[in-house]
Amino acid sequence: MCALDGVSFGIEEGEWIAIMGPSGSGKTTLINILGGLETPTSGKAIVDGVDVGRLDEGGLTRFRAEKIGFVFQQFHLVSYLTAIENVMLAQYFHSTTDEKEAQQALERVGLADRLEHLPSQMSGGEQQRVAVARALINHPKLILADEPTGNLDEANEKIVIDLLRELHAERRTILMVTHAPSIGSLADRRIDFSHGHVVPSIPALTPGRP
Amino acid sequence: MFWRLVFQLLRGNRARLTVAILALVSGSAVISGLLNLDLGVEYQLTQQFRTLGPNIVIAASPIASAPGSGPADSALINEDAVLIPVQKIAGPDVSFAPFAFVIARTQDTQVVVVGTWLDQLRNLNPTWKLEGNWISSRDDQAECLVGRNAARQLHLTSGSRLHVQYLARNSDCTISGIVDSGATDDNQVFMNLRAVQTLAEVPGKINLVQLNVSATPKVIATFATRLSDTLPKFQVRPIRKVTEAEGSLLAHIRLLIVAMIFLILILTALCVLATMAALALERREDVGLMKALGGSISRIVGFFVAEVGVLGAFGGFIGAILGAALSYWMGLRVFGTAISPRWEVFPVTVLLMTIVAMAGALPLRMLAEVKPAIILRGE
Repeated sequence: MCALDGVSFGIEEGEWIAIMGPSGSGKTTLINILGGLETPTSGKAIVDGVDVGRLDEGGLTRFRAEKIGFVFQQFHLVSYLTAIENVMLAQYFHSTTDEKEAQQALERVGLADRLEHLPSQMSGGEQQRVAVARALINHPKLILADEPTGNLDEANEKIVIDLLRELHAERRTILMVTHAPSIGSLADRRIDFSHGHVVPSIPALTPGRP
Repeated sequence: MFWRLVFQLLRGNRARLTVAILALVSGSAVISGLLNLDLGVEYQLTQQFRTLGPNIVIAASPIASAPGSGPADSALINEDAVLIPVQKIAGPDVSFAPFAFVIARTQDTQVVVVGTWLDQLRNLNPTWKLEGNWISSRDDQAECLVGRNAARQLHLTSGSRLHVQYLARNSDCTISGIVDSGATDDNQVFMNLRAVQTLAEVPGKINLVQLNVSATPKVIATFATRLSDTLPKFQVRPIRKVTEAEGSLLAHIRLLIVAMIFLILILTALCVLATMAALALERREDVGLMKALGGSISRIVGFFVAEVGVLGAFGGFIGAILGAALSYWMGLRVFGTAISPRWEVFPVTVLLMTIVAMAGALPLRMLAEVKPAIILRGE
């Protein structure tokens, strides 16, 4: 079975792209390949000049640490680490830890008073904001967000979307998978997937740039 | 961050890790106890065997008793020729006394009269029981001891007067105590060495010297060799029955202890292994996430290895303390005296437990195979 077939597109630096499509259409596979979590059986996935498919295990590890920031639908925080430690963990794998910088990242996402809280002591929205802070801490070239608001209530969804808007305004490159057309419409561009193929381009419904 | 995360790993999984800690603490307590016992058993056995009596005898050389010399004289040796060199090389752990034997008559009965340093009898034979009083003066010729059988046969008790006759010479003494050795010594009479030498008219002569060396069989053999070198004209003979029995028992106990230590190490490793296998399954998601964040497998597994290392060292340390108490108790129960903890057991136990914990952490190797994409999808 082919998860992605004949998929070809490019993203400019600073662009916010929304990947949309039904379940099983290959959206997450695309994110995983671009993030170096999976390797394509054929074809090329080039991120910041690096052909991800040609990297060995060590190269993929460095690639993920240095170039990619992940935000997952399920948050995926380490349950026994506090908010600040979860952010510092990404710093640790990248280079060295800087507690002050990690604290500033959490302050930026509105969690100044949650630094020493464990994930179990935080709401879903707060956990996702920790994940966003963690994704940003190493200044990645590409932020890959897989359904970042999929598990959030409306209020928290707005907070996370506002954060993505801010990042976009800072010219961060964001590739976001979403099912929600209203969220997809915020992006510069929308790429629709169906059965592992890119559906011919549809212009964004509304301008994505703030 | 490394140790901070290791600490959080320990804190976050304390319920499951408690099982591993308990296994490590109990394993190391028994191992530490056995190691202390192993190091202390030599001393304890030496003390136990020392109570069995003399373990080296110095007598006239067989060459000296070659045909041609008179049988009575051949067995006699000059006491100064032996006692002065022995005194020079004997340390505080060595008790010794000269012995001169004569078969005398008392109440028309023949009895073996032993002339010796009466004040040393107790040191040479710690297991002897005495009804009455030991004689504390080496020069006291007025008092003597009588073996239990001899006393019964001659109807003697403590305080009785004993008259012995050898040829035309006589000697008298007051019985200070009745000896119960459980051996042939119970048939003998023990008198002052000078008194017996005078009775037999062999001044300055003795038959043999008995030594009780409080040491291991190996040390006793070495000491006997040294004595042989110092006294080439005499026969120096370790009493093999005692020293070999001690050596054999020691070897058996040591073998048993080593076998038990191995068994406990294996059991502890298995227990840690079972805990870590369960923990490795639980941590697949964390490892998948860490990999996705750019963590290399060596850095990620490094956390877990450090975690089990800390567990092992901690469990080993606590267990070593408990083991010291255990060996103290075992010494009291088995030997009647406490075994003092040995400092070198602590680092050995901690090291052993750390290695065992690391060996038990082998299931964590499976974490290297974790595919982050699959784990993060929740599969």
